[in-house]
Amino acid sequence: MSRSLLLKALGLVVIAALIFVPLTLNRYGIYIMSLWAIMTIAAMGLNLTLGYAGQVSLAQGAFVGLGAYTVAIMMTAGFGFWLPLVLAIIITFAVGWLLGYPALRVQHHYLAFVTLAFSTLVFLVFRNEEWLTKGIYGIMGFKRPSAFGVSFQKPIEFYYFTLGALALASAFMAWLVRSPWGRAFVALRENPIRALSLGVDTRRYTLMAFAIGSAMGGFAGALYAPLVEFIDPTPFTLALSLNLLMMVIVGGSGFFFGPFLGAAIGVLLPEWLRFAHGWYLIIYALFVMLLLIKTPTGILGIVENMIAARKTRAASAARAAASAGLDKA
Amino acid sequence: MKLFAATLLVSAAFAAPAFAQNNAPIKIINVGELSGPGATVGTNFKNSADLAVAEINAKGGILGRKIEIVHLDTQSNPGVARALVQKAIDENPYAIMGPGYSGSVKVSAPLAAQAGIAQVMGGEAAELTQLGFGTLFRTSFGQQSSMPKIAKYIADNLKAKNVAVIWVNNDFGKGGRDMVTKELTARGVKIAADISTEAGQADFAADVVKAKNANPDAIFIYLNEEESARALRELKRQGVTVPLVGETTLIGQKVIELAGDAANGARGHIGLTVDAPNDNLKAYGKKFQEKYNYIPDHNGIKGYLGVYMIKAATEKMGKVDQKGLPDALKGLTILAAQEPGILMDLTIDKNGDLDRDSFLAFVENGKQIVKETLPKMSK
Repeated sequence: MSRSLLLKALGLVVIAALIFVPLTLNRYGIYIMSLWAIMTIAAMGLNLTLGYAGQVSLAQGAFVGLGAYTVAIMMTAGFGFWLPLVLAIIITFAVGWLLGYPALRVQHHYLAFVTLAFSTLVFLVFRNEEWLTKGIYGIMGFKRPSAFGVSFQKPIEFYYFTLGALALASAFMAWLVRSPWGRAFVALRENPIRALSLGVDTRRYTLMAFAIGSAMGGFAGALYAPLVEFIDPTPFTLALSLNLLMMVIVGGSGFFFGPFLGAAIGVLLPEWLRFAHGWYLIIYALFVMLLLIKTPTGILGIVENMIAARKTRAASAARAAASAGLDKA
Repeated sequence: MKLFAATLLVSAAFAAPAFAQNNAPIKIINVGELSGPGATVGTNFKNSADLAVAEINAKGGILGRKIEIVHLDTQSNPGVARALVQKAIDENPYAIMGPGYSGSVKVSAPLAAQAGIAQVMGGEAAELTQLGFGTLFRTSFGQQSSMPKIAKYIADNLKAKNVAVIWVNNDFGKGGRDMVTKELTARGVKIAADISTEAGQADFAADVVKAKNANPDAIFIYLNEEESARALRELKRQGVTVPLVGETTLIGQKVIELAGDAANGARGHIGLTVDAPNDNLKAYGKKFQEKYNYIPDHNGIKGYLGVYMIKAATEKMGKVDQKGLPDALKGLTILAAQEPGILMDLTIDKNGDLDRDSFLAFVENGKQIVKETLPKMSK
């Protein structure tokens, strides 16, 4: 009882901090916070595919790119922001669904290779199909959106916009993982044959896990484009996919709050470490390596282990007390 | 007496900050590619900028004020570059230097323009200075200045009718390829083969076969240094004998070292290299090697020049005026006789493009030989 109250209080403090702390930050800090919110959404999508449904994907960065390009191309063609946003989600959902088909046939490393190839392919399309993507020169000249007469042009306004999008994505995710679908995804990860024997349509759920995870990547990309206000192929190489994968694993794959922490480490930590100048990426890499050696299940894995250990201790203490009582009798 | 001494000390301590106000260091923030695929570009730029700052500070700084330079790493990512230029502007620097990648320049230039802060950068893409930011300045010959000279040489001196173009598919290579294609076509030269290669590519066998099959009169090669060396070796292996023409990146010292014999006969237009027949450039190259123990490339020269451009413009104004700096840079002519750090006489035009002499050089017996000095475009 008291612990759940404590957790609720902690949650409220974090939400309040997310709302009020950026007011004290300069524009750079706000930009980084916006980037954190966007990367959290993308990592959340990957967490669904990888953490819940157990499908290794190295293509999440490509989906972020697809979302970003859809919005950038359509906005420069004069479509506003909202229609391109919806289309970005639909396109990435559909492409994600198609990419799920190989996942029906190959697993683990092999699936990672298939998605890696897809990621490279998408990058080449961005770079080489100049008639559509303007190639290596990139696309500029689109603005941040506005809604109901409210403009999200200024950094702090756009931050609240991304924070709202993050809240929306989180609510959707929270609903999803608690729904029968979420349970089916976990069943798929833990034991696909058993899941199949219990009547879970593993084929459909595998495709679904890919499609929904990818669509969240597309959603994140659709927000990334107006944040940077310039899109070229270089941010969407394999490095982004690997980075997102790292965020999910470091935060705690399969935990709801894993991507939030993981994205904080992937986006905010290198920025905090900048005081170390040339060393900052080395310190960062060492930190991540040590973290993963210490706790392969990610940060939330440690927390879960601690809770489990405490429960075990409490249970064995109770058992000892009970057996001591028996001895007396 | 003791009390008097103490009072003096205390008042001196209070007075010091007020005095320091006018003497506070001039802050320059360099946003560069210090990690990721652009690390060699950014590190050369950074080291040279540090070298220039140290030289200027040793001589008393700019108008008696020292320079303080801070370096921020973009990880070669335009999104991060934008964030960092924002960070730099939040810190209200006197000027911003970098980035070196044209894409990163393009996303960050509007921010600097909005703040009215001069951005002295390394990007080479032709369009950068044509977007009308007003605060953006090159530190090198843009492709729009070098490619016409090369195209003219290919068409008039070599009398080539068909040219194969081998280029690296990033913003640097693509920009050069687009510009040289336009200039060659305008002079009636046909592009017989248009061959795109990857950054970091190791094997050029297939590309050279393609170029050979097109049967060109000359091959134009526009790659980064290491890839240039690999391409030259492959061209020699396959016995290609037509003239090989390029830019600074084809016939620089590093390429000659890596390519060995294969570099002989390659020729090209060079903006600035430490091998150029110029005492200031040679002196710079020597100082750089003493400090960092390797030969700087053209990106190094850019970082070095950039700091001296800021110095010259500030001295022209006669005061450290952040908002006045962009205007002071425009139309500025800096003479190497007065400011050796600028290396060669140079004029900055109203768009932020540079104009200065350049060279036509050949590689002979493993050495870069300058055959001709090509005058300023405006002359």
